[in-house]
Amino acid sequence: MKEPGPTNGPGNTKHLRGMSMNRIAIVSALIAFLVGMTFATFSEMRVFLPAILKGAVVTVQVSILSIALFLFMSVISGIGRLSANRPIRWASIFYIEVFRGTSLLVILFWMFFVMPEFGVTLSPMVAGVTAIGLNFGAYGAEVVRGAIAAVPKGQTEATIALNMAPYKRLTRIVLPQAIAIMIPGMSNLTIELIKATALVSAVTLVDITYAAVQQNQLHYRTVEIFFITMLLYYVFAQFVRFGGEALEEHYTRHLSKRV
Amino acid sequence: MTHPMIQFDKVLKAYGALQVLKDLDFSVDNGEVVSIIGPSGSGKTTVLRVLMTLEGIQGGTMYVNGEPLNKMNVDGQLVDASKAHIRRIRSKIGMVFQSFNLFPHMTALDNCNESPIHTQGKSKAEATEESMRLLEMVGLAEKANHYPSQLSGGQQQRVAIARTLAMHPEILLFDEPTSALDPEMVGEVLEVIRDLAKSGDYTMLLVTHQMGFAREVSDRVCFFDGGKMVEQGKPDDLFGNPQHDRLKQFLSKVLEAG
Ligand SMILES: Nc1ncnc2c1ncn2[C@@H]1O[C@H](COP(=O)(O)OP(=O)(O)OP(=O)(O)O)[C@@H](O)[C@H]1O
Ligand SMILES: [Mg+2]
Repeated sequence: MKEPGPTNGPGNTKHLRGMSMNRIAIVSALIAFLVGMTFATFSEMRVFLPAILKGAVVTVQVSILSIALFLFMSVISGIGRLSANRPIRWASIFYIEVFRGTSLLVILFWMFFVMPEFGVTLSPMVAGVTAIGLNFGAYGAEVVRGAIAAVPKGQTEATIALNMAPYKRLTRIVLPQAIAIMIPGMSNLTIELIKATALVSAVTLVDITYAAVQQNQLHYRTVEIFFITMLLYYVFAQFVRFGGEALEEHYTRHLSKRV
Repeated sequence: MTHPMIQFDKVLKAYGALQVLKDLDFSVDNGEVVSIIGPSGSGKTTVLRVLMTLEGIQGGTMYVNGEPLNKMNVDGQLVDASKAHIRRIRSKIGMVFQSFNLFPHMTALDNCNESPIHTQGKSKAEATEESMRLLEMVGLAEKANHYPSQLSGGQQQRVAIARTLAMHPEILLFDEPTSALDPEMVGEVLEVIRDLAKSGDYTMLLVTHQMGFAREVSDRVCFFDGGKMVEQGKPDDLFGNPQHDRLKQFLSKVLEAG
């Protein structure tokens, strides 16, 4: 079991904001320090670094596009799963079950190697983004569904008493409150997604991971190369984490009692 | 011809095998203020919830100002109401909840503006003018830009009342509007409800455990027990000269409890 931290109880928002600013400062200092160290220590970095950074650009591209598809599918099928319309609900359940129950790597192979058998040839980028976005969207749908279900029933009842149209009820009352609830879960999934983009190297995309493997075969600087690789993924994940925390704070700013 | 404002005709509400309202016949005249009292589980809240269409019913018909609510007339036949029909009739009914149910991500003013702007299509300026007038009426004009989390329970309930009035209902339903409040805040909310009752502008149906208040503001009090209306009458008659044993027992218990 985890030891309870000294003062990490549910503090007020001001306290939280202070903490996350501190953490940003500490983490950036740490990253700057490590990067500096690396540059100082590993003089041959410029031999392999450009290739790895090129890979990082591909990872960022794949990540951003996959995240867009992931968010879209999460919201659509998370809402669809709760729809009163039976075909919409069933389609959502079908999608969620299929993509949650199968391995991402296998879906990726389907997109890239199997689809051409049916006459649909996808570029590595499209195959990668589609597989990752659809796979994570199925998990995200459950987060969205859970968040919507967690909005108190009284909120929906108030919208009925105010005679609001069902789609206004969803877009103006339920979703804005559900977003606050879903952010931590969605931001975790986004971090998992970024790490999972390493799999696109299996369909010939030269992302960070692929570039690292290639550079390692050329230069045999195993420690430095994979250290840099790790650091890059870590930095991407931190961006998402801080973004998620900022968003969460934004959406919950009125929900706690002002002290 | 004048219709009752609210009419229940053999309304049956059941949860599985549990019949909560048993062929309930019940009506309220236009402008009448009616309180519903009764023991816990007797179906008081359910009466309001089925009328607000928060719950479906398994039998019977409810009418609002002579028009069926859960049914509609098609070629002289009463058939199950469409959603559009329900929404049209429902626009005449407003409800104030025990737990307020304000929208926590909106200010008091935006809570009041929500339905006028997004359901009735009023302009923001027009809605705001009216909402400010209503907030003023419940004594909260200076809290218009506060969020619910920044308001006390009594203030939240008064905002909820203003929000309900902003949609111009003809019928107001109150489900134990003060039972979630600290004792010192009960008075401020009752005062607002009392003014509404006295104004005569609304047909009001009030579920309450506060017998003194029910006696004071109501034109009529109904005693429910076991999903049926057991007794009804003018407040002084019902409280002063109860007929049924169950009502006598209930009143003596309530009075004992203080
Ligand atoms: N969603 C539900 N599912 C099953 N049973 C329910 C549900 N809602 C209410 N009931 C039952 O219906 C009966 C009537 O409930 P209702 O809430 O109308 O009582 P009430 O008179 O308002 O009581 P109270 O004074 O405690 O508020 C109770 O026996 C209750 O347990
Ligand atoms: Mg009740």
